[in-house]
Amino acid sequence: MTPWLLVDPHLWHQTLVYAAPLIIAALGELIIERSGVLNIGIEGMMLVAAVTCFVVTWQTRSAAAGIGAGMLAAAILALLLVYYAVALRGPQITVGLGLYVLGVGLSSLIFRVVFGVRTSPPQIQTLAPVPVPGLADLPVIGPVLFQQTLLTYLAFLLVPVVHLALFRTPWGLRLRATGENPRSVDALGIDVAALRYGAAVVGGLLIGLGGAYLPIVLTGTFSDNMTAGRGWLALMLVIFGRWMPFTALGGALLFAYVEAFQFKAGLVEKAVPSQFLLMLPYLFALAVLVRIYRGARAPRALAVPYDREARG
Amino acid sequence: MDRRSFLALTLAGAAARPHLAAAQAKRKMAMIMPGPIQDADFNAVGYLALQQVAKTYDLQVSHSESVVVADAERITREYVTAGYEIVANHGGQFIPIMNKLAPQLSNATWIQEASGRLPNLPKNAWNIGRKFLQGFYVLGALGALATKSNKVGMVCGVRLPDVITSVNSVAQALRDVNPQAQLLYNWVGDFNDPVKARQTAEAQIAAGADFIVVFVNLGLSGVIEAVKAAPRPVLLTTFYTEKWDLAPKNLTVSLIFDFNKPYHEIVGKILKGERTGYYEMRPGSGMELSEIRNVPPSVADKTRAIFKEVVAGKAIPEVVDKTP
Repeated sequence: MTPWLLVDPHLWHQTLVYAAPLIIAALGELIIERSGVLNIGIEGMMLVAAVTCFVVTWQTRSAAAGIGAGMLAAAILALLLVYYAVALRGPQITVGLGLYVLGVGLSSLIFRVVFGVRTSPPQIQTLAPVPVPGLADLPVIGPVLFQQTLLTYLAFLLVPVVHLALFRTPWGLRLRATGENPRSVDALGIDVAALRYGAAVVGGLLIGLGGAYLPIVLTGTFSDNMTAGRGWLALMLVIFGRWMPFTALGGALLFAYVEAFQFKAGLVEKAVPSQFLLMLPYLFALAVLVRIYRGARAPRALAVPYDREARG
Repeated sequence: MDRRSFLALTLAGAAARPHLAAAQAKRKMAMIMPGPIQDADFNAVGYLALQQVAKTYDLQVSHSESVVVADAERITREYVTAGYEIVANHGGQFIPIMNKLAPQLSNATWIQEASGRLPNLPKNAWNIGRKFLQGFYVLGALGALATKSNKVGMVCGVRLPDVITSVNSVAQALRDVNPQAQLLYNWVGDFNDPVKARQTAEAQIAAGADFIVVFVNLGLSGVIEAVKAAPRPVLLTTFYTEKWDLAPKNLTVSLIFDFNKPYHEIVGKILKGERTGYYEMRPGSGMELSEIRNVPPSVADKTRAIFKEVVAGKAIPEVVDKTP
């Protein structure tokens, strides 16, 4: 196997394409968790967003409508989670698991009801790459960085935006404080519940965008469980990325790089079992991210219901 | 319970009795499938065959889809307990379940799909041998004839015997028809993951493949997206059903599977008391070639000629213990 394979420009192009949905979903989850709510229903939310995006795009022939509908669907599920977490002070892990199972079944049901049994699958037009004028023709980096779809560009632009929003704005400060010590935020007269609901809407919209990315950019269709664990991976990226946007980005790029690499390696190296190659991205990401996680601290109030009437 | 309620219940039961009796009089058949019936592919054609058999023989039918092997035994026992006398396993992964249960539940008859003739078939089981490798030999031959880069890709789902023998038969076709051509193949690990299938196809296209033989189900959508986004023309094949509308400029041929034929014949025989036997699905018997498009007429003619040779019995080595 030639070492050139490791720095193949096509490999890097693929890395960006397949890291994008992970990054978007991870950013959404990061915002929600920074507010103190633990959402483990990302996989279900992404599936519902994917099927909603697909169905609406198929019906309206509008990618924008489909993406918007997918984002909205996930945001509604996120609001449901936060309602249980904030208003009812319910167990967030249980509700999150319930949302995951609901998402798996609901997405499959929606597809079945709309399309039924066919011998030819329904298909939508996927987004075409949009070359950046002037930059797309640069040698090597042009095709890698500047010949991507709009959603792929957006995924990477969102990382500094979310970072700035969280760490350089009053809203971000309040949100992070809500996740660390909601009582002190409440004492300042700031509505903790409103912040958490707001975080759920924003985070849910981003998770939905991550789910919508799959049919609208990659496949042109919907299939049961098409997220294939990407929601769980996004959750892992947030946790092991120390709840920081740029670290989560690094984890997503690492996973997507190894995932793209294993398909190329599988073509030239037949001595390594294919099952091992398929396992490689997960092993790699876990090994590196567990190392990075050392010393990280979760938001202090994460998954802890806030009761302003409680003493102490 | 007062008298009126009792009378209402009795009348309702009496009204339902003819319907129940009618349903009870119907013989029952169930089908167990490894994937969803909305896959527009393998599982969909199995489901449609089941519905056709139900109409033809006036059977009460039921199906279970997306069944993992670990659940298949429980589901099968539930069907047999509920009076289903025919159980069709639409997938080779259920062979161990059939081997275990058929001797135990002798009042039911199995229809088990496999890659060929099963050894030690129970006396209450039919065996459908699906000779994928013979059909895929023809698809490989088309690829060998149509490729301009001399690199033929193959996107494979799960590493099952059917798929292994098909990879080897495609490799054999390349050796026979175009020894210059090289086979590039990957295992996606899933028949129904279009995202991974797209990544696989993109890797093969980046490595120079300009013709891709597809052995995935829903994953085909991902392969089609990879082909549409390719920097140069790439052709591909599909199977089970025709899917021209998905990629009219790239699809060349479909290896059509007609599960109606074997199920119609076998169920008819079971209902008459013949509870074991073998039916081979192969080119010319439940397996046909669609029209061939997007290749020169000479390539299409040669491919059809090779198909006829396979129908007539051309020997194709069945290699299952290794891959190229």
